[in-house]
Amino acid sequence: MTAAAVRLPGRVVIGTLGLDQHEVGAMAISQLLVRHGYEVIYLGRFSTPERLVAVAEQEDADIVGVSVHSWEFVAYADELLARCREAGIGLVFGGSVLTEQDRGDLLSRGADAVFGPYASEADMLRQIAAIVARVRGGDAHPGRISPAETSLAKTSPADAPLADRVIIVTGAARGLGRAYALELCRQGAAVVANDVDSAALKEAADAAGDGPGRVHPIDCDITDPGAPRVLLDAALHRYGQLHGLVSNAGLLRSGPILQLEDDDLRLLLDVHVTAAFRLLRVIGGYWRAEAKAGRAVDAAAVLTTSAAGLYGFRAEAAYSAAKAAVAMLTRVAADELGRYGATVNAIAPEARTRLTTWLPESPGDGPERDPWAAGHVAPVVAWLLGPTAREITGRVIEAGGGQISVASGWQTGTAYPLPPMMTAGQARDLMPRVLASTGSPPPLLTPDAPPRAS
Amino acid sequence: MTRPFYTPADVPGDYSAIGDPGTYPFTRGRLRGSGGWIQRELSGQGSPLRSNEQLRSLLAHGALGIDVIGDNPTMSALDPDHPMCVPAVGTTGVSLCRKQDFTELLAGIPLDRITLSHSLPPAFAIAGQYLAARDSGLDPTVLRGSAIQPPLYSEDCSYSTFLPFRIRMRLTLDSIAFSLREMPRFHAFLEDTYYISDGGLNVVEEMSLGLLEIREVCRRLLARSLPVDSFAPRIAILVNCRMDLFEEIAKIRATRRLFARMMREEFGATDPRSWSVNIAVHTSGLTLTAAQPANNIVRGAVQALAMAMAGVQGLEISTFDEPFRTPSAIAHQLAIRTQQIIQAETNVGAVQDPLGGSWYLEALTGELESRIDDAVRHMERLGDVDTLVESGYFRNIFTSVADRHSSAVQEGELRIVGVNEHVIPPEADQFLRDVAEKRFEPDRAHAERIRAWRPGRPDRPLRASLDQVRAASADADADLMAPIVAALDASATIGEITGCLREGQGLPADPFEFAARQLPAGVRP
Repeated sequence: MTAAAVRLPGRVVIGTLGLDQHEVGAMAISQLLVRHGYEVIYLGRFSTPERLVAVAEQEDADIVGVSVHSWEFVAYADELLARCREAGIGLVFGGSVLTEQDRGDLLSRGADAVFGPYASEADMLRQIAAIVARVRGGDAHPGRISPAETSLAKTSPADAPLADRVIIVTGAARGLGRAYALELCRQGAAVVANDVDSAALKEAADAAGDGPGRVHPIDCDITDPGAPRVLLDAALHRYGQLHGLVSNAGLLRSGPILQLEDDDLRLLLDVHVTAAFRLLRVIGGYWRAEAKAGRAVDAAAVLTTSAAGLYGFRAEAAYSAAKAAVAMLTRVAADELGRYGATVNAIAPEARTRLTTWLPESPGDGPERDPWAAGHVAPVVAWLLGPTAREITGRVIEAGGGQISVASGWQTGTAYPLPPMMTAGQARDLMPRVLASTGSPPPLLTPDAPPRAS
Repeated sequence: MTRPFYTPADVPGDYSAIGDPGTYPFTRGRLRGSGGWIQRELSGQGSPLRSNEQLRSLLAHGALGIDVIGDNPTMSALDPDHPMCVPAVGTTGVSLCRKQDFTELLAGIPLDRITLSHSLPPAFAIAGQYLAARDSGLDPTVLRGSAIQPPLYSEDCSYSTFLPFRIRMRLTLDSIAFSLREMPRFHAFLEDTYYISDGGLNVVEEMSLGLLEIREVCRRLLARSLPVDSFAPRIAILVNCRMDLFEEIAKIRATRRLFARMMREEFGATDPRSWSVNIAVHTSGLTLTAAQPANNIVRGAVQALAMAMAGVQGLEISTFDEPFRTPSAIAHQLAIRTQQIIQAETNVGAVQDPLGGSWYLEALTGELESRIDDAVRHMERLGDVDTLVESGYFRNIFTSVADRHSSAVQEGELRIVGVNEHVIPPEADQFLRDVAEKRFEPDRAHAERIRAWRPGRPDRPLRASLDQVRAASADADADLMAPIVAALDASATIGEITGCLREGQGLPADPFEFAARQLPAGVRP
């Protein structure tokens, strides 16, 4: 039934902005879409954001497409993004003046797709079809794919608490992500899984086998600004809905401050912090739109922090800082998305993965006997995504190594009055007292003293 | 269909059908002096003052001519302080809307020694250059250069000025007549087939549309009782140059022959200067790629070499950063250097039409000549051009080729290195990208300057001059050029004057009101 849905024509309003008079691209994309069964309402030159969106609403269009051949789009982008968002209409930019930086920028500000000089027709058509499906999936449009039509297993709630739930898992090719994806499937969920390692991801999807749920692999790099949108599109295109997110993709760039390069730091922050932030923004935006449209949202996100982010790991300042950021992102996102019906929690897993080679060797007699096996953490994540955790939000759960606990955060120590414009002498006098009144922070973790190793 | 090789049997007619350089039918071009071709680059960025610096820099690098293009508002005959224009001021060309702008743009430029080509709305370009020269004490009769006359196609494939066809045609005819009288050395009728063809037209479509427009304008000038030999020598053609180089060279030779025959046989020109058309070239921006931008330097060089061998009178290379931006200074310099290297180091300009007599080239020239001629006759049989313009016949051509070109690229039928073969991933494609992707902001300060300047103008002569424009527009027999020159001289802006031209036709002065009234044209299956 998915194929039938794709064949339904989309409606696209196409124009150029302001005085950008080069229509070649707008005409070419119009013809391409028409050839592939779309209806195109061609506005041509001298369009304003107001006019594009007004015509799109009047014509019941799915997408506004803007062809860009001068830099004027910069002046109009914000208004156009806001109007399309408000109207629930997809927004696509295309044109050879769009650089990779523009692409990232526009996607992160909420554009549905940005086609620069490297875009291929096949890719444009694929993305546009996905956007149409998503736009339609969000309302009662005849083209909508209803949840009843999906291939989700119908199993009893007791066996499969996650039946009928659609969940995105990032970094699902191996390790914890793979364990999560398989466990969510076992509990009945449909998992849209991503990884940069497509072969291993495919293998993980196959491993889900004929369980009640299934895993749909999507090759993409979670640091690509467009990746969250691609994953959301994939979920909506296939199932018309999305209930959960596990932001799990991670990597390690190991080294002390004095040795770690900028590129390593940037990569750590991109993968752990920026990617999680973008996923929340894009998917949270979808949940908010659902809530605003009056549909009950029953959604949950699980981010991934680490003991390193809670207590610090010796000589791993960058990784620890990135993971600490995720912990606080969880707290604040829980507050923000709670009003739309979504919970946000974090897991601090302790398990043997490629990132934790310092953990003790596996006992070698099966994962059940190995306290550091990823499989032990997965049910915790599944529970956070399930119906009995609806009231749990903004929490960080530490799990693995045979234990489970809730981490609690920074505490304010004993408070003293702060003298106005304190002199150096006053500071010398006051500060030791302030510091002495509150205990020392817990020691940093080290490979010799990993969490729960005692 | 090209064959593997050609023989003398493929060359049509005898040598007299080709002829010596400088003789009818001018297949091999005019006799060229020792100076070679005019080397210039398309320029204009930001305010007139900033553009003036750019022009000086190009001349300092050895450019022999100047080609100025306006920013989007200027090309649309709108003022920079119009709310729709502010985000576009100066980003794709120079902002020009008043006499003072032309004066500032051309300050210190030796207009008596170089040629000034205008890629601007022609009536305003001619009026502006005329006034700037006059006010600086230069006799306008010494001015050389050209102005693009785009009455038939500009609304459909380029910069719309929201003027009805009848007004666009009157502006063309009146500005040519004005220039013939006041600036007799100036090519007031530059037929620009570059802009109409760079959406993906082939050479036959390009030149047949170009010749159709030339023929239409000539007939209307003749109908005004202007002798053909008074205006034909002031016609020039600016053509495109893509990557199929022999086809482009043959196209130019075929066009010369068609032009010569048309002027002598059809329009009865007797002055040999009327038969030999001046052809300049702008290398195709469409052939340049955003991928691997340094490759564009190579494309520009081989195109320029081919055009030097074709014997063009003027040459502009699309700069390597054109897919991204208005040319950077270094890209301009590279383009000028490319021309200088070809002229100074390769010696290809030493002999006129050095490829003449190539069996392949002569066969191709003959073939294109007949195909272009057939296409012109075909269109002329379809009806009068007014009807073709208004029925959307031309627009349909431009619309369909855009898709044809992109399909050919996608399917690999048109091979483009770095795009559909020898592709490298974006992250590996960094060389020269920093230059290519650097942007500059719209010149909001200039828009503000114009806004602040408006109220200080003497009101009464301004209003009187605009009334004259409005009245002339309403009168189908009136000359538009004199009131336009007078209004610009009285501090009217191009936007105001164009507004009055629209009002004289019963249209709203502000084109966006006009634009909003037009219903969206559906492109539906």
